[in-house]
Amino acid sequence: MSVRNAILGLLDQHPRHGYELRAAFESLVGGEDLWDVKPAQIYTTLARLEECGLVQTTSDLGEGDEPGRRIYAITPAGQAELAAWYQTGVENGHQRDEFFIKLMLSLSTGNANPRRVIQAQRSKLYQDLHSITTRRDQSNPRSELAQIFLLDKMIMHIEADLRWLDLVEARLDEVKRQPVPEPEIRPRGRPKKNDVMRKA
Amino acid sequence: MNLQLTLAWRYLNGRKLRTFLTTLAVVFGVLVLFGMNIILPTMLEAFQVNMMAASGMVDVTITHQSGGAFSPQVTDKLTGIDGIHAVSASLNRTINLPADFVDHDSARSDRITAISLVGVDPEAVQSLHVYLIQEGGRFLQAGDAQAVVISQSLADAYNVKLNDGITLPSVNGNVTLTVVGILPPRTIPGNEEVLVTLDQALLMTGQTDQINTIEINLNTTDETRRNEIVADIEAALGPDYKAGALEAGSEMFAGLKMGQAALNMFGALALFMGGFIIFNTFRTVVSERRRDIGMLRALGASRRTIVGMILAEGLLQGVLGSAAGLILGYLFGAVIIALAKAPLNLFIHITMGAPVVSPMLIATAVLLGVGITILSGLIPAVNASRVTPMDALRPSVAEVEYKRRTGITFIAGLALIGLAILALISKNMGLVGLGGIVFLIGLILVAPAFLRPIAYVFGKLTALLYARQGTGELAQGNLTRQPSRVVITASATMIGLAIIVALGGMTTSLSGMMDTLVHKSLGSDYMFMPPSISVWSSNVGAGPDLVSQLQTVEGVGDISTLRFAAAAINGSQPVSLLGINPETYPRVSGLEFQEGDSSAYTALAEGRNMIVNGAFVMMTNAKVGDSIEFITPKGPQSYKIVAMATDLLDAKVTTAFISQANLAADFDKTDDIFIQMNLLPGVELESVDAQIKAIAADYPQFTVIAGKSYIDQMLTLVKVMFSGMYFMLAFLALPSLIAMLNTLAISVIERTREIGMLRAVGATRKQVGRMITAEAILLASVGTAFGILAGLYLGYVIIAAMSELFPITYSFPIGGILAGIAIGLLFGALAAIIPARQASRMNVVEALRYE
Amino acid sequence: MSIISTQNLTKIYGSGDTAVTALDHVSIEVNAGEFVAVMGPSGCGKSTLLHLLGGLDSPSDGAIAIDGKPIAKMPDNALTELRRRKIGFVFQFYNLIPVLNAVENAALPVTLDGVKPSEAKKRAIEWLNRFGLGDRLNSRPDQLSGGQQQRVAIARALVAEPNLILADEPTGNLDTRASDEIAALLRKVSKEFGRAVVMVTHDPRIAAYADRIIFLKDGSIADETILEPQNGKNAAMVAGMMKEIGD
Repeated sequence: MSVRNAILGLLDQHPRHGYELRAAFESLVGGEDLWDVKPAQIYTTLARLEECGLVQTTSDLGEGDEPGRRIYAITPAGQAELAAWYQTGVENGHQRDEFFIKLMLSLSTGNANPRRVIQAQRSKLYQDLHSITTRRDQSNPRSELAQIFLLDKMIMHIEADLRWLDLVEARLDEVKRQPVPEPEIRPRGRPKKNDVMRKA
Repeated sequence: MNLQLTLAWRYLNGRKLRTFLTTLAVVFGVLVLFGMNIILPTMLEAFQVNMMAASGMVDVTITHQSGGAFSPQVTDKLTGIDGIHAVSASLNRTINLPADFVDHDSARSDRITAISLVGVDPEAVQSLHVYLIQEGGRFLQAGDAQAVVISQSLADAYNVKLNDGITLPSVNGNVTLTVVGILPPRTIPGNEEVLVTLDQALLMTGQTDQINTIEINLNTTDETRRNEIVADIEAALGPDYKAGALEAGSEMFAGLKMGQAALNMFGALALFMGGFIIFNTFRTVVSERRRDIGMLRALGASRRTIVGMILAEGLLQGVLGSAAGLILGYLFGAVIIALAKAPLNLFIHITMGAPVVSPMLIATAVLLGVGITILSGLIPAVNASRVTPMDALRPSVAEVEYKRRTGITFIAGLALIGLAILALISKNMGLVGLGGIVFLIGLILVAPAFLRPIAYVFGKLTALLYARQGTGELAQGNLTRQPSRVVITASATMIGLAIIVALGGMTTSLSGMMDTLVHKSLGSDYMFMPPSISVWSSNVGAGPDLVSQLQTVEGVGDISTLRFAAAAINGSQPVSLLGINPETYPRVSGLEFQEGDSSAYTALAEGRNMIVNGAFVMMTNAKVGDSIEFITPKGPQSYKIVAMATDLLDAKVTTAFISQANLAADFDKTDDIFIQMNLLPGVELESVDAQIKAIAADYPQFTVIAGKSYIDQMLTLVKVMFSGMYFMLAFLALPSLIAMLNTLAISVIERTREIGMLRAVGATRKQVGRMITAEAILLASVGTAFGILAGLYLGYVIIAAMSELFPITYSFPIGGILAGIAIGLLFGALAAIIPARQASRMNVVEALRYE
Repeated sequence: MSIISTQNLTKIYGSGDTAVTALDHVSIEVNAGEFVAVMGPSGCGKSTLLHLLGGLDSPSDGAIAIDGKPIAKMPDNALTELRRRKIGFVFQFYNLIPVLNAVENAALPVTLDGVKPSEAKKRAIEWLNRFGLGDRLNSRPDQLSGGQQQRVAIARALVAEPNLILADEPTGNLDTRASDEIAALLRKVSKEFGRAVVMVTHDPRIAAYADRIIFLKDGSIADETILEPQNGKNAAMVAGMMKEIGD
């Protein structure tokens, strides 16, 4: 979603070549190592956009004997789409969390110590936080502020994860005492009447 | 250490108002102590300049222990002592001159108020002194009658030249003497010697064949040898004589000493109060800076560094305060001296010069000022050094709570009060002064036990007053929550008021006594007053002629006279002996008896009996019935005490009354120095007035006063004196105001954050202001209640102690109490104004941030 | 060489029924140039540990050695001297003396040690310059921002050239940006100047600046994480992370 909208936004600025778009995107997010976008992704996205009529292409005759390249430009429909995107909030990322699965598994199966699981996760998060912090410290706020902002965002996410870990750890004993939610074994065939009643 | 001083200075600078108030306390103590102690030496010096004859170049001066006269034959005892170069016997008498006697100009103030009449043997005296007679004149010669040698300065004052006559008072009325020689002008004004022959001097003073001074020059300057010779001389003369300077007026000195003790007690109390204020300030300072101190400790400051830091602040304040106190004290002394000049001139007839400041006094005042400041800072400083570095790390500021073991302090307080009462019973003036302070400390220690109930009662009252705001309860709650701080604050008021009420009780009682005495002692129709009515020895009296002349006036009834002799007991303790006529004295004048009754008068006529006053009893510890041995010019004589009584004029001087017959027999004194007489019943004042005034004209040393008018004059004077005392009281109330203001301001500062909180939760400025005011008035009430109780008690005990000396009974100082309550509450309200404003104007946000 | 070494450090407050074990057999080592963060929920004993390390409080049991010297039984005077010369403190509330300016505050420990005022000032100015406070030398604490005040406090902690810096919630009173600055400064102190830094904090963001995090729980060490210095894997890690966050 964000790459698609980024392309629309960059094309709204002025029409661009495909490779030019990729470079512009990278400088926008602060570097290829931060948000690596493959050329293929750019071109498939452009193709999809063109399909939807949000972008149109013109061929640019190269100077001299250079081969012609496609130049992408935004259509009025694309501009409308972009405007709508600016005006709506970004959907929060879905909470499909691998660690959560790990923790719940360790709690329900008992084949790992949940506390150790938490500790391991915390170590990992701190290591990440340490690395990002170091990276952030090495960035120059005069020329790389955008990059710093992105790093800050990561830092804050990790902070939130760490706080959440603390919260879970503090109430680990409580959650252990609660019965692990067992999946309901659904009898084959039609449910009996009282089952339906219970569900309601 | 440099750092400590820097910190101290910066901290003081940061809280200017508080620094000012605290330092003011020191200033005040030093001011009182220094000012008061300037006054006395100045008086003494003036006294000495006026009274004492300069002994010139004389090596040894011999006088009688009693200060009285003795036979010229005593000089015979000196013959044969090795090392004596020359001896001169003389009669030295100070003669007070009535006002305008010399210049006859009432507009100009008198430059010469007394002279020294010196009767000499012209030949002998010139072997000791060199007299530089100015051209044309000569020195005295043996057999000179009515001849006198005076200085140029005295001649100028009299406006006379060589061979002119000058008039001097004598026991036989005015005498005119011819100036035969004039000496160069004296450098020190006011101590004029008038040289006459011994015979002439005897004639003028109504004595026969007596001297009172032997001057001796030695033939060596070697110190050891001289001491040997002096020892030989003393051995030859016996214990009744002493070698040294002429000691006139030691009674006066004793009187002044007692005054000084009282003034010093006053100053000590003021300083004590100052110390108290400082203690309180430092207590707050330490709690305020708890975190700073903890941090310094964490950074490696040793305990001693911390103590040093707090004490450095004390030192700075002490030095500043003492310096300001010295300057203000000097001004204060100078002003008092200037104000006292006129009455002193009138009463004891001395003229005072510029204030006398001794380096010792400055040193003592500074030491006391600085010392007390540092001492007061010591407990808080030691407390500060106990602050652990952990305190710096804690986010919340803990209150400095002093270890209060209520039980122990209560018992200690009671013990101190007990000690103070013992001290008062001891009747020793020094101990009484100390006891007053001990008593107050005891009260402060006992106070916490009573605080809660008192605060409760007054709190309820205030709550009633401010029923709607609820601030009364809040104020009361504030008070009972921190009893130690409240006690300290209220104590400041308490001390101030205790002193006021105690002194108020004293003055009321004293003025009652003065009233009685004035009526009794001066109750006659006519009085012949000498220039000085408290230093009898410097007065020239009158011979028997005056009284016999007065008796011839038709309509004159009883005449009573006082005759004076200086005497000594117990070796050298000076006593004033007053000769009275046992028959007429009680009819014209009278004593106020403390022990015995008027039958004692008849006892005086029946042998060597005497009536003594309280000061005498205090000095000798004698009882009625005891016999005391006097050193008289004719050897030791025992007198038996038959009663104890006091008259107005001699209340504070060690005095014994004996019959005039005994005074003449044992002390050779027959001149009347004070005369009182009554007219026969039905005789009008106007009919005798002219005759009496005519007779008195020959005796200018006396001021003739019709008694009744004099009583009025005297009572007015007493009133003036007491209004002076009340002024002093007000003066003492001032530091108590400062103390209260200070402690209240500090209590507001201490609670800055809390007040900010109140404001934040919606208390209006008015409510906060009211709360502080209510608190101040509560504090003042607690202090006032205690202060009045303490003051009543103190005053009563002091008067009880004094009643051993004087015929005095305790008068309940209703006026003083009312004034005390008014002052206490008024000051409480006044003291609240600044802190209340401060509190209500406080910026809420800043207050909450306040650490 | 280890600057701090503790064995079975135990601190019990109170006695009998009311006894509270604030620290329970804690053994740690901290080396020169190491930056250690101590974390844990409130009441876990992290402040107690710091106080014991600083000689501000004495342990109930166990041993502490600072610079190889045992301090558990040292008398007050010796501890005072130790604090003055071997340990620098940084507090949450900066605790600068309000009436002294930046230089005078920073110079305090050496001034207290009797160093000549001019020399003490010189040293303080050096440190303040290093920390970017060269233009605020004569400012009083109330004229400085929180971050600046804390920098003065760190200069003060270093002025006596101690080997050990103890910081108690040094960023507890600061906003995020100033907190980052202070944490970075403390890291610099350990890396560039080779001091051992022990910092108590509850802020993960700040703890991440350290080389090692010690987690205390109920008075004993619950966990310890060594944070690897940034390495080649880093770029990949960051990129992976972006996948999680971004599209």
